[in-house]
Amino acid sequence: MASPLSHALSSSQYILPPRALLRLQALAPRRRLRPQATAAAVSAAIQWNRKPQLAGETPRVVVVTSGKGGVGKTTTTANVGLSLARFGFAVVAVDADAGLRNLDLLLGLENRVNYTAIEVLNGDCRLDQALVRDRRCPSLELLCISKPRSKLPLGFGAKALTWVVDALRSRPSGSPHFILIDCPAGIDAGFITAIAPANEAVLVTTPDITALRDADRVTGLLECDGIRDIKMMVNRVRTDLMRGDDMMSVLDVQEMLGLALLGVIPEDSEVIKSTNRGYPLVLNKPPTIAGLAFEQAAWRLVEQDTMTAVMVEEAPRKKGFFSFFGG
Amino acid sequence: MAISGDLKAFGTFASYHPKHPLRPALSSSKVQLGRFLNRGSNDLRITPKWPHMEPPSSGTAQNDHRCFGIGGSKLSSATISQDAEGFLLNAINMNFFDRLSLAWRILFPTRTARRKSNARIAKQRLKMILFSDRCAVSDEARQKIVRNIIESLSEFVEIESQDKVQLNVSTDPDLGMVYSVTVPVRRVKPEYQDSEEDYRGKITGITYKDTGETSETVDVTFDFFIPNEN
Repeated sequence: MASPLSHALSSSQYILPPRALLRLQALAPRRRLRPQATAAAVSAAIQWNRKPQLAGETPRVVVVTSGKGGVGKTTTTANVGLSLARFGFAVVAVDADAGLRNLDLLLGLENRVNYTAIEVLNGDCRLDQALVRDRRCPSLELLCISKPRSKLPLGFGAKALTWVVDALRSRPSGSPHFILIDCPAGIDAGFITAIAPANEAVLVTTPDITALRDADRVTGLLECDGIRDIKMMVNRVRTDLMRGDDMMSVLDVQEMLGLALLGVIPEDSEVIKSTNRGYPLVLNKPPTIAGLAFEQAAWRLVEQDTMTAVMVEEAPRKKGFFSFFGG
Repeated sequence: MAISGDLKAFGTFASYHPKHPLRPALSSSKVQLGRFLNRGSNDLRITPKWPHMEPPSSGTAQNDHRCFGIGGSKLSSATISQDAEGFLLNAINMNFFDRLSLAWRILFPTRTARRKSNARIAKQRLKMILFSDRCAVSDEARQKIVRNIIESLSEFVEIESQDKVQLNVSTDPDLGMVYSVTVPVRRVKPEYQDSEEDYRGKITGITYKDTGETSETVDVTFDFFIPNEN
């Protein structure tokens, strides 16, 4: 199991090794000198058993937003949420789109959603009945807001969502470690509702100019609302286009938006396939590069870490016979 | 053997004064740097690009040093000679084809097509659009800014006409968003004016045409202030 993972790690240039690997390399020569290493350092020696250490206060309410639609918010929420659950944290994923709902499709749980948050607010059911627990990964729970065949649910506003989050925090089975809120596209009432209870934000964007403009606008709105901790995730990255200088590089994106980078996800056809199957990407064995990138982003989210973008080397120009003539 | 050649400089922003013993040359911010060397049969025309001096033949190494040794400026000539040295050492180690390709590239430099790439165009457009999106000031804010500036400046100067004050928003590649307010001023208010008596006898604008290091004469122009008696 280690070999495909390490092979995939070494073959992709965006994915930095997780901190455990780096710490392992740094610790290895020093272990003999300091046998009384701290517990964290000793447990870092075996990478696969190590869990990321949770930073920040529980529960961590993170809103996954982007502004522009179709950049991968729901995919990110599903995959990062599932990665967090596999690390062992209790995660509740909330689909805050009050009209159209997609998160259940991505997680493959669409048949099991019976109750939604609207019914909880009306008093028709309990909160734990509305939470759908994933059988493949029991730490993840899904909460939807809208009922598929009902009329447009009006009246689900910021206060309602804040109430739901507080109810989750103070539920008898214990507060979850993470509450991921999947924000709807746009910057209107749905967006305002979704960001109301959040303390942190993950801004998903793609390296094209339309998404970046919208992401910038959303950053401004988030900061107005009081969310200062905004991290960026660049999705659908095509390194071949970046090498040919047809797509803006991640360095450019970081420079333009000025946000800390949480993760870089390469464009992967596995995303579409896994959506169609209802089997989230990160559960694939062997892991795909996008799945690995999601896992590492989840790791960084837990530890409140960020990554630095690396520059893609230009493809070496093919030297023809007359190359020394400047061709 | 004396070096008979004149040191003409063409190239970009050379900041040193090429001091030829026979002809003092004035330097400006854009100086032309080039070298013609007539030395027997070695007729070389070298077109170096600042700061990479790339004479394609190693035979004139000594001449390079000596020529630049004449110029007595501090850092620039030292770096040129070092660059030339380092380059020549590399050039000696190259084989014939590498040197040939290097010579070709020097004599016929390829036009860089990288400016036109899609990513750069996108980045440029994005920069423009982000700046204008981020700093769009409302009209009301503009009026207030102008009014406040007029108020604060009126304390020190007399403004020509309040209608001519303009607020311009522009982008600068280094500074980013730049707000500039143009204020036509009639004159400074009397209590803030510089007293002319302070300037009596003051010498300004000193320029040296010849500092006398080599020729033992000094050629200098300067301005001498005498306040108007009116």
